Amino acid sequence: MKARPLDIAAVGTLATAFVAGLVVPPDAVQGDLQRIMYVHVPSAWLAYLSFTVTLVASVAYLRWRSLRWDRIAGAAAEVGVVFTGLALATGMIWGKPVWGVWWTWDARLVLTAVMFFVYLGYLALRRSFDDPELRAHRSAVLGVVAVLQIPIVHFSVTWWRGLHQPPTVLRPDNPQIDAPLLFALLMSVAAFTVVFAALVKRRSEITAKEDEALRFQEAGATAGSDITAPTIGGGSS
Amino acid sequence: MNLRNQIATLMRYELRDELRGGEVGFVVLPFGVVALLTIPMAIGIDTPLLQRIGPGIYWSIILLFGVLVTQRHSSLAPPATRDMLRLAGADPVARFAATTLATFLLLLAFEVGAGFATMALYDPALDSWWWLAALLPLTAAGLSMIGTIAGNIASGLEARTSLVPLIVVPIAVPLLLGAAQATEGLRVGAGILRWLLLLAIVDTVLAVAGVLTARSLEESAA
Repeated sequence: MKARPLDIAAVGTLATAFVAGLVVPPDAVQGDLQRIMYVHVPSAWLAYLSFTVTLVASVAYLRWRSLRWDRIAGAAAEVGVVFTGLALATGMIWGKPVWGVWWTWDARLVLTAVMFFVYLGYLALRRSFDDPELRAHRSAVLGVVAVLQIPIVHFSVTWWRGLHQPPTVLRPDNPQIDAPLLFALLMSVAAFTVVFAALVKRRSEITAKEDEALRFQEAGATAGSDITAPTIGGGSS
Repeated sequence: MNLRNQIATLMRYELRDELRGGEVGFVVLPFGVVALLTIPMAIGIDTPLLQRIGPGIYWSIILLFGVLVTQRHSSLAPPATRDMLRLAGADPVARFAATTLATFLLLLAFEVGAGFATMALYDPALDSWWWLAALLPLTAAGLSMIGTIAGNIASGLEARTSLVPLIVVPIAVPLLLGAAQATEGLRVGAGILRWLLLLAIVDTVLAVAGVLTARSLEESAA
């Protein structure tokens, strides 16, 4: 498979973010443990981004009925589920030494896990269909309804008093984070976003090929079926 | 036949089927009460604790067993019935509304039945219990709409019976949280209006999503 500009950009920004995450000074309170935030925060950001892309692509499919939108919706949900899982896992790894527990019944944690399962259900639904059109129709509806979760997850920290810290960077007043740490964090968010774009593009292309292969299979075509046996004297065999 | 008549006719058909079969009253409700009975056996007989957590257990039972109520309509509408209704010109929006309303009434009955069982078994202390008159319908409406949408999405699939709960339960979590927080508010004597508002917003969004997607799902009916 040939490397393309988006893939190269994804690898490049990821490498830069990795270096930035290593060279910035450690956190004054948490020390090096805080560096896990350079993976955790971008993963959580990608979870929101992915599921929003799934919503937009689902609406676009319902409006224009182009399978291209369905493939983007499915690819974004797949990538989103992976990064939601990563956000949960890195959160747990960070939580054990800081909070003393792997898991706590904090509203945001629980609802992020719920969001993970909502989109696992979405992916399970997609896998249940062979027909791309049927898959697109049904999963587009679920893609729209499932997005109900996202604002509730996001605002859960404000609605319920929990253990999870409130927004640090996206505050109405000034960000509560030192400039070098903020730079490294923003670098990793940018890198993860480019990786997301590259993954969604690749996955959409793979799904397009799978759909094409399915159509070919359904048409009853087999390798070499276009080749006919040679005939003698111009007659038909 | 106008939309309102279509909804009334289709809803009567679904409720008549329940009256004949009694699936909700004679199967799902007793199953839910059995669950209410077994949970204290696992937790231990700590009466003050059970009194405190009883409402939460009740809402979990409503969510998990309510899925069985919401699932019944997908078995009621096999492909042949759907084709017949389509050929007869039944509006997809009317079908969505009828199924949702029928499921809403059945869920409400299930909530009331399981509510009496919870009162008897757990004896929760609720101030201003008349708020339940708003809380129970709002929760039943949300759950019935999610169930109807999920049932339509998964209709015709072999994995429908396992897929529908996987779709419904996580999406219905905001309803569970709203209902449980409101009941906790009633227990401690706090205001519950914002939780009712949350439930009303979720219901409204689901109603809009259900109506807007009804035709699209009809087009893709297997």
